[in-house]
Amino acid sequence: MFYQILANGLIAGAIYALVAAGFSLIYSTTKFVHFAHGGVIALSAYMLYLFYSLLGINFWLSAILAIISGVIIGVGIDYLVYQPLRKRRASPVIILISSVSVLLILESLNLMLFGADVKSINFLDIGSGWSIGPVIITSLQIFIVISSFVLLVTLFLFMKYSKIGKAMRAVADNKNVAEIVGISAERIYTWSFAIGSLIAGFAAVLISLEQNIEPTMGTALIIKGFTASIIGGVESVAGGVLGAFLLGLTENFGIWWLPSSYKDAIAFVILFAFLLLRPEGILGVKKNQK
Amino acid sequence: MASAYIIHLLILICIYLILSLSLNLSVGYSGVLNLGHIAFYGLGAYTSALMALAGVPFLLCLLAGGLVAMFSGFLLALPTDKIKGDYLALVTVGFSFIIYSLMLNLDEVTRGPLGLPGIPRPSIFGFGFEDNFSFLILIAVITLAVYFIIQRIADSPFGKLLEAVRDDELAAKILGKDTFKAKAFSLAISAFFAGIAGALYASYITFIDPSSFSLMQIIPIISIVIIGGLASLPGTVLATIILTLIPEALRFVGFPSSILGPMRQIIYALILLLILIYRPRGFLGKVELE
Repeated sequence: MFYQILANGLIAGAIYALVAAGFSLIYSTTKFVHFAHGGVIALSAYMLYLFYSLLGINFWLSAILAIISGVIIGVGIDYLVYQPLRKRRASPVIILISSVSVLLILESLNLMLFGADVKSINFLDIGSGWSIGPVIITSLQIFIVISSFVLLVTLFLFMKYSKIGKAMRAVADNKNVAEIVGISAERIYTWSFAIGSLIAGFAAVLISLEQNIEPTMGTALIIKGFTASIIGGVESVAGGVLGAFLLGLTENFGIWWLPSSYKDAIAFVILFAFLLLRPEGILGVKKNQK
Repeated sequence: MASAYIIHLLILICIYLILSLSLNLSVGYSGVLNLGHIAFYGLGAYTSALMALAGVPFLLCLLAGGLVAMFSGFLLALPTDKIKGDYLALVTVGFSFIIYSLMLNLDEVTRGPLGLPGIPRPSIFGFGFEDNFSFLILIAVITLAVYFIIQRIADSPFGKLLEAVRDDELAAKILGKDTFKAKAFSLAISAFFAGIAGALYASYITFIDPSSFSLMQIIPIISIVIIGGLASLPGTVLATIILTLIPEALRFVGFPSSILGPMRQIIYALILLLILIYRPRGFLGKVELE
């Protein structure tokens, strides 16, 4: 039982990590909460459904198209909403409210265009399970864990060694100094949204293989991704990933004692506790005042 | 038939008025960006509905709904001394999530997603408000009372203290003002009225379920407050009327109701975004949201 819960926790953690990684990447450079990230994931998932199930395009091509749509949506939101707000120096609070509005718009679009009923992508067979010792894992879940691992390692290498990755870290660290040495912060913001939304599109594909697609999935996912980032430390992608696995494990071990409908409540209570007691997260450094 | 529809609209406007006027007290006057106002509304609705179903007289239910919300508003005010700005907004979002998931998961009390049907209509000292017209008179009287109470608070020395806290908390502290107490009181009063609005909503619709109290429901109300203008009660009234009536126009264009719901949300969110980008002061606002 213990090992099965451990495995379930890690699988949930891998999915949350994909959500949290894109979210914290965007937060680390732009310093505002992009709640609509969840909406980007949800809309990309619907795009996959549109291309694969409705138009009958080959799965891998549909997946690539869905990821590209994710990037277009993410960068589009930045261009249409956040950029004008930044231009007039709106406070993070204003941007926070506008990101919640964008999330609401994306969810309502899903509802309007695709209806309220759940959709599913039946590409990989979920039924066949592998047993490793006492643990049963489906091949789909192994696929999800491996691909998110590969994606996160690639992201880590990209941030560490590529020129754009370095510039992103510089802007995250100190925007003014980065601009003095000639890095355009606006250009880096666009890159953050592009890469963050690319991960969102990728997450959308993996999540829609494992779960049903529904109009409000974006809110549900961003709550988890956001909670994970707050737990680990919202300023860093590594913190978000760490928080994601901690959250996945806590939730799954929590429902060992509590009824399973309390899974979400566990996440909220952890989120609340961290916001109140340690808002900088586990890996975060305490700043003077938030 | 037409008059029944107009009475229904007027009742909705009254409920929204109580909600948005009270939200303006905390967001507009004391500058506490409270995105958890819907949680107070929901607490008021559930408390009064459960008591009314147990046979408690209406006025007691109304009062209890307000008091439970007020108490939770006071609790939510506790961290405002330490946490500020967007982090505080996130704490209130977390609070809203927790209350929502309690409504959904405390099956024994709230019946979870099934909701509470058959809530009795108000009856005061033997006089029942069974038909909508008498209900409208009741709620209009309460709304007027709420307006004047909030106006009295805003014009009182306490109201001036709240504005001082909003504009420069440090300066208010230097003058020896207890800024924490001021914020806690304003949040508690604001929560009390939101609870009253919830109790009225429950007894009007006679059915409540968690979906009316999800986080996204804050968007229309925060839109009203921002569009009308912070710290402007006439602005709030104007914005409430306009925002309630705009989506109703869609009904006459003849869209099916499955499209109407999401479209209404999109309209609210779009108006809010446009105001945030182009006119952050709203119609009659005295200050900008920080």
